[in-house]
Amino acid sequence: MSEKMAISFTVNGNRETREVEVGHTLLKFIRDELHLTGTKSGCEIGECGACTVMLDGKPVNSCLVLAVEIDGKELLTIEGLTENGELDRIQKAFIDHAAFQCGYCTPGMIMSARALLERTANPTDEDINQALSGNLCRCGAYQEIREAVKAASKK
Amino acid sequence: MLNYSYVKCKDLTQAYDLLEKEEQVYPLAGGTDLIVGMRGGKFAAKIIVDIKDLPELKILEENDQGIVIGAAVTLNEIATFKPIIDHALVLAEGAHTVGSYPIRNRATLAGNICNASPAADTAAPLMVLNAQVKITGSHGKRTVSINEFFVGPGQNVLKKGELVESVLIPRPYPNGTGVYLKASRTGSVDLATVGVAVQSWDNKVQVAVGAVAATPVRAISVEKAVNENGEKDLARAASLARDDISPITDLRGSREYRYHMAEVLIRRGIEKVMEV
Repeated sequence: MSEKMAISFTVNGNRETREVEVGHTLLKFIRDELHLTGTKSGCEIGECGACTVMLDGKPVNSCLVLAVEIDGKELLTIEGLTENGELDRIQKAFIDHAAFQCGYCTPGMIMSARALLERTANPTDEDINQALSGNLCRCGAYQEIREAVKAASKK
Repeated sequence: MLNYSYVKCKDLTQAYDLLEKEEQVYPLAGGTDLIVGMRGGKFAAKIIVDIKDLPELKILEENDQGIVIGAAVTLNEIATFKPIIDHALVLAEGAHTVGSYPIRNRATLAGNICNASPAADTAAPLMVLNAQVKITGSHGKRTVSINEFFVGPGQNVLKKGELVESVLIPRPYPNGTGVYLKASRTGSVDLATVGVAVQSWDNKVQVAVGAVAATPVRAISVEKAVNENGEKDLARAASLARDDISPITDLRGSREYRYHMAEVLIRRGIEKVMEV
């Protein structure tokens, strides 16, 4: 049994209508159907945060959302942060502070950092630790990531 | 790919109908336990009933009865709701320790208790606040005390065709402070090895503990010693929790470690709310 359903949503500012498999997660849909591969697949049980995207302005683990659930909603992925070909302040700060080695966790980290800076303009180290605690970095770049988020908050 | 049918409910009646008439129907609110459980083979869902956008389940308000938390209200909404911070801080603290910020943007209080994990971080706080669970179904409504809601690991009192509609933190609110203390392997994003909620009511305390028995439990022996027998040695009072709990050994901690941590956290919690 494979069931499909038509949904309409906004992705990175563009209105879309698609048929989705009801058995697919949002993560799979984003990568395999929308071909936005910046969003990464990690643990797929909501523990690593590599798949973090914004849904109606809030960060969520896209591995724990069904694709059909985004009907009528607004989706923002890492690809949607660039404006006129220019990286946003958090992306630039991650580069300036070398806040990654392999880069696999970076899109999720940046989405969580963006959500933090939207609710707390000048976060403390503890605020950053808390907000990013659902995003794992196996390279261990946590210190540089914290510095990058702090620097971005000052721009 | 998982195989199931998906129904976005237009109202609660539609949800009750499906839950009652069909087999292997699972309500979807936050989905953070459901989707993991389906992928891991714990839940064999044939029909997913999406109730998360029903306005009657999105209610988060304070009224004459107390604080009403609808089944689709997320843990982040609860942890930042002013009446909860003002009158039921222990619940805000419990809700705040579940998973990560993105998880709490989806996960709900109702889902946390319906999943009925002995380690559910909101269960012990609800117990010390005397919360009431409003259950609805095609055969009507009933209210169950949170103390009677859990039956065993992953099991609760819901019958086929029933849903938790809301949870009530009833008035009168406690006039003392409350605290949730959690021992876990990592600083965040882990289930509780032991979770302790302590709430002060006048000069009495209520204590509940998670992850130390088949369900979250009240530490009645500790409460009795402090409230009725006037035990001033709080370490001794906390040690009586051994009569109330029966922990197991698993990957998060041994039986003996859990006994020990329950005692330690109960003592610390009572000291904190009694300002000892």
